[in-house]
Amino acid sequence: MKSKRFYYFLIPIIIICLWQFVSYFKFASPLFVPQPLDVLINLLNSMSSGTMLNDIGHTLYRVLVGFGIAVVVGVPLGLLMGYSSKIYNALEFTVEFFRGIPTTALFPLFLLIFGIGDQAKFAVTAWGAGLVILINSMYGVHLGKELRIRVAKTMKIKSFQLFSKVIFPEALPQIFSGFRVAISLSLVLVIVTEMFIGTDAGLGKRIIDAQLVYQTSTMYAAIIMTGIIGFLLNKITMFFENRIVHWKGK
Amino acid sequence: MITVHSLTKEFKKLSSTTRVLAGVNIEVGKSEFVTVFGPNGSGKTTLLNIIAGIENPDSGEVLIHGKNPKDAHVGFVFQNYNESLFPWLTVFENIVFPLRIAKIDSKKQNEIGEHLLNKVGLLHSKDKYVYELSGGQRQLVSICRSFASNPDVLIMDEPFSALDYSTTRKMELELLDIWEEKKITTLFVSHDIDEAIFLADKVIVLSPRPASVKKIFEVKLPRPRTLDMLSSPEFTELRNSILNTFEYEK
Repeated sequence: MKSKRFYYFLIPIIIICLWQFVSYFKFASPLFVPQPLDVLINLLNSMSSGTMLNDIGHTLYRVLVGFGIAVVVGVPLGLLMGYSSKIYNALEFTVEFFRGIPTTALFPLFLLIFGIGDQAKFAVTAWGAGLVILINSMYGVHLGKELRIRVAKTMKIKSFQLFSKVIFPEALPQIFSGFRVAISLSLVLVIVTEMFIGTDAGLGKRIIDAQLVYQTSTMYAAIIMTGIIGFLLNKITMFFENRIVHWKGK
Repeated sequence: MITVHSLTKEFKKLSSTTRVLAGVNIEVGKSEFVTVFGPNGSGKTTLLNIIAGIENPDSGEVLIHGKNPKDAHVGFVFQNYNESLFPWLTVFENIVFPLRIAKIDSKKQNEIGEHLLNKVGLLHSKDKYVYELSGGQRQLVSICRSFASNPDVLIMDEPFSALDYSTTRKMELELLDIWEEKKITTLFVSHDIDEAIFLADKVIVLSPRPASVKKIFEVKLPRPRTLDMLSSPEFTELRNSILNTFEYEK
């Protein structure tokens, strides 16, 4: 148990030591690499003053809405694509085409359609995360065991029941793998949209504002907070995954 | 009652044609337990798939209680219990699955499910998940499931071949114990000669591929069967005469 903890924190400690080392001996200008302690103090101050909490709240709200839309659209569409070769054929080209295009490159298009408000941010996030969820849901159906479907068919199961009671649960482990990738991607996309589309509050805005005026401590404090949020979002998704897909790997 | 009449089946590949079934005739009377014994690769699985209505024969006919197999109610037990059970459901939910999709009321489901579980000594594992059970117990669950919906006929495809010797003998006793209750017409495929004799009223010996019926042996051992019958003179005699039908090539 002790050694497990040790390995868990080993690399972060090495990184912080290296950082301290570089900033202490001024291998890089303090303007670009602030002292770790300064960043920590900045992080604690901005948390206690509540300004960062406000930004976190806005960012999390956008992540959850974007991710939520991605789930609601991506899962059913992915399952249908996996199940029906007609739907697969109809969508395969489009999906594979957009899959290779960075969502961030499509900003102008999203801005044109949704304006510069929150809707554009939701749309960008939902698009990027939705593609990941859709593709994983589709694979979930393809990777399912043929025999279970055959078993259900020997019981004269109806198509709808086959879908809801066999194919869907069979695809769940893969769907959750998609969720875990998509939740991290959602955070990335929200931060990037906040940085480049513009907003009045959000961690991305905090990062870009600090960057522009060389407040590097504030910038790194916001970046570290983003990392912590990403870590926690992934842990929360894993928690639900272990609860819901309890049979995974067994 | 199952009637299989001069069934033929070929598999065509690009360069060659493999004859799998060369005019198979089988008759399983009502409430009879018939085993099909044949070497590996003799086309037993193809035969079962055709009888279950999953595959179509090239020529010949299968009737189950005078009906086309696609319209008959066939219970199936597969060799691979891990891929034929539903890991997201509990033991009990797996067993009543065919009743649930047929919208049988839940009181009746409870009655049937608990009765079967009690019969095989798994009532205390009712709410466990199947991955928490041993291999033998898992296959018992899938056997219970096949009996739950009270099908016209039962087809079992080497259900115990992944289990060790003593577990297999135990499973055979459990199977016969449930079977004695309703004596559902059963066709059981096996490559274990002791199993084929021990379970059956009639052993059908198949020739190597392309399969046809080589000989049919009546098993006159009384029911209920007990393990000491395995060493009785009648058993040994029958075993020898079945083995004598095979010419061993050097």
